[in-house]
Amino acid sequence: MGGQQVKVYEYVIRRLILMIFVLLGVSILVFYLARGFPSGLAPWAPYIDPKMTEEQIQEVIRAHGFDQPILLQYFYWLRDILHGDWGLTGIWAQGRPANEVFLSHFPYTVELSVTAIILTVAIGLPLGIISALKNNKLPDHASRIIALTGYSTPSYWFGFILQLVFFYYFSLWGLPHLPSSGASGMEGAVARVTGMPVLDGLLAGNLEYTIDAIRHLILPAFSLAFISLGFLARIVRASMLEVMRQDYITLARSKGLKERVVIYRHALKNALIPAVTLTGIFFASLLGGAMITEYVFAWPGVGQLSLRAVFQGDSNFLLVYTLMIAAIIVIANLVVDVAYIFLDPRIKY
Amino acid sequence: MTSNSTKVRAGEWAARWADLKYTLYLLRKNPLVMTGSVIAIFFIVLALLANFIVDPNLANPTGYPEFHGQYPFERKFVWNKDSIINWGPGIRLYEGPEQFYLGTDNWGRDLLKMIILAIPVDMENAVIITVAAAVFGTLIGALAGYIGGVIDEVVLRITDIFFAFPALVLALVFAAMIGRSIPTLRLALLLVWWPPYVRLMRGQILGEKEKGYVEALRGLGAGHLRILFRHIMPNSIYPILVQATLDFGGVILTFSALMFLGFSPSPSLPELGNLAAAGYEHIFEAPWLIIFPGLTMLIIALAFNLVGDGLRDVLDPKLRR
Repeated sequence: MGGQQVKVYEYVIRRLILMIFVLLGVSILVFYLARGFPSGLAPWAPYIDPKMTEEQIQEVIRAHGFDQPILLQYFYWLRDILHGDWGLTGIWAQGRPANEVFLSHFPYTVELSVTAIILTVAIGLPLGIISALKNNKLPDHASRIIALTGYSTPSYWFGFILQLVFFYYFSLWGLPHLPSSGASGMEGAVARVTGMPVLDGLLAGNLEYTIDAIRHLILPAFSLAFISLGFLARIVRASMLEVMRQDYITLARSKGLKERVVIYRHALKNALIPAVTLTGIFFASLLGGAMITEYVFAWPGVGQLSLRAVFQGDSNFLLVYTLMIAAIIVIANLVVDVAYIFLDPRIKY
Repeated sequence: MTSNSTKVRAGEWAARWADLKYTLYLLRKNPLVMTGSVIAIFFIVLALLANFIVDPNLANPTGYPEFHGQYPFERKFVWNKDSIINWGPGIRLYEGPEQFYLGTDNWGRDLLKMIILAIPVDMENAVIITVAAAVFGTLIGALAGYIGGVIDEVVLRITDIFFAFPALVLALVFAAMIGRSIPTLRLALLLVWWPPYVRLMRGQILGEKEKGYVEALRGLGAGHLRILFRHIMPNSIYPILVQATLDFGGVILTFSALMFLGFSPSPSLPELGNLAAAGYEHIFEAPWLIIFPGLTMLIIALAFNLVGDGLRDVLDPKLRR
C-alpha cells in the first residue's frame, strides 16, 4: 500500500506539472486570438484617464509592452499576471481589475452549478439504473428518449420554454409563478459573505431572502440539469449492464441473495465509478460553460460576463476567464482520476 | 496466385456483407432507431427540396416586391385568428387573406416557410463541420497512434489544451475575433470538434497495432501507409461513425446557438438559431418565434441522436447479442 501511495503522489505531481503546460497553451491560444486581431476594446484603453497627457498615455502603453510586436506582448502579459496584474476591464464592468470582476461573480456560477449537479444526479442516476434493469423494455425506451431529448435540446430554447410556462403563463393563470431572471429579487437585503445568495441568506438567518433566492435558482438549475442528466443516465445504464454480466454477480445470485441486494450492494457500487467521473467533468464544465443559460436567465455569473466580454472585445477579462476555467477543468480531471484510484482498487499507476 | 487472392477477397467481402446484413437486421428490430431514421431521412429530403418547396426570395425582407415593402395589412408578429393555439392576451391576431400556420416574424415573413428554408442551411453546415472534424481528427489520431513516441506525446498535449476549454467559449472567442461569417463559424466549430476524434482514433489504433495480423502484415513486407490505411483504419472506423452521428446533433445545436447569440452574418438569414434570436426581445409578444425553430432543431438533433445511440449499441460487440 505504501508503495502504491508514493506512486499516486508521483502521478499527481506529474499531472500538476503537465497542467502548467496546458494552462500556458490555453493562454497562448487565447492571447493570440484575443490580441492578434483588432477588437472593440484596446487592451490599454481602461488604463487611460481622459485627463492624461499624450506622454503619460505613451508611458502606460510602454509599461505594459503594448508597443511591442504581438509575439513579445505575450511575455509582457505573462510578467504582469505573475505580479498579480490581470489588467483592467472596460467600462462594461466599470473598469475594475479583471480578476476582481471574475471573483465577484464566480460565486453565482458556483451556486448554479452545484444546484444543477444535485438535480442531475438526483434524476439521472435512478433513470440510468431503471434503464439497465429493464434493458430493452418499455422503461428503458422511455428513459432513453428522456436522455436523448435532454441532449438534443437547444439550451436557450429550453430556458425560454421554462420562462414562458412557469413565469409568464403561470402568472397569467393566477398560479404561483417562479421568477424568470436574476439571482435574487432582494439584492442587498443581507450581508454579502460567500457571494452565493442562498448561502448568504442562510448565514444571515433571513428565511424570506433564502426562499426568494431558491425560487430564482429553480428554473436555470433545472434547465442546465435537463441537458446533462441524459448523459449521466446513459453512462450509468451502460456501466450497470457491463457490471451485471460479471461473474461475481452470477455468483452473488447463485448464492441465493435477493435481487435487490445483488443490485444495490454488489452491482451499483462498481457501476457508479464511471458516473463519478462524468459528474466531476460535468461540474467543471458547468462552472465554465453555462453561458447560454446564464444569458437567458440573466444570471449574474461569469458565463454571462464572458459573453459580454466577447462582444466588447475585452481581452483582459477573456484571458482571466479562460485561464480560470481551464485550471478548474484540469484540476477537476485530476481529482476525478485520483478518486478513481481510491474507488477502484483494480487501477494501478 | 491471382485467382487465389480473388477468392480470398471475395470471401472477405461476403463476410462483410453478411455482417452488414445482420447489423441492419438488429437496427430494424429497434423501434427507436427506426423512428430516428425515418425522421432523419424526412429532414434530409426536406433539406434537399426546401428551395423548390418555398421560394428562397421570400427570405429576403424585401421579398414582396408587389407591395414595395408597404404591406396593405399589418403582418409583423401576427398569429392566425382561427388557430387552435391560444397564446393568451397581448398577441396580435391576423385576419387577412393569407394563412400563417406558425405565425410571422419581425419582417412579416411566414415562419413556417422560413423554417423550411432554414433547414438546409443548418444541415449543410452541420454536415460540413462534422465531416471535416471527423476526417481531420481521425487522420491526426491515426498518425499519432501509429507513429507513437514524441509525435504522439505532442499531439496528446495539444488536445489536452483543447479539452481544457469550455467548447462554446473557444468558438465564441474565435468567431468574435476573426469576424462574423459562415466560414468563420465553421472554422470555429471545427476547432472545437476535432480533438475527441483524435483521442478516439488513437485509442483504436493502439489497440489494433498490437494485434497479430499487423505483425503478420509487417512480416509480409507491407508498407506502413498500407497497413495503416488499408488494414487498421477500416477495422477501427465504426466508433468514429457512431461518434460522428452523435456529434451531428450537437453541431447543429452549437452552430445555431452561436447564431442565436448574435454571430449571424445577417439578421434576416433563415437559420434556426437566427430565427429564434429574432424572438428573444419579443418572447411574450410572439412566443412562436422561439418555440418552433427550437422545436425543429430538437427534432432534427433527436433523430440523429436516436440513430447514433442505436448504432452504438448494435456495433458494440459486448452489447450485441
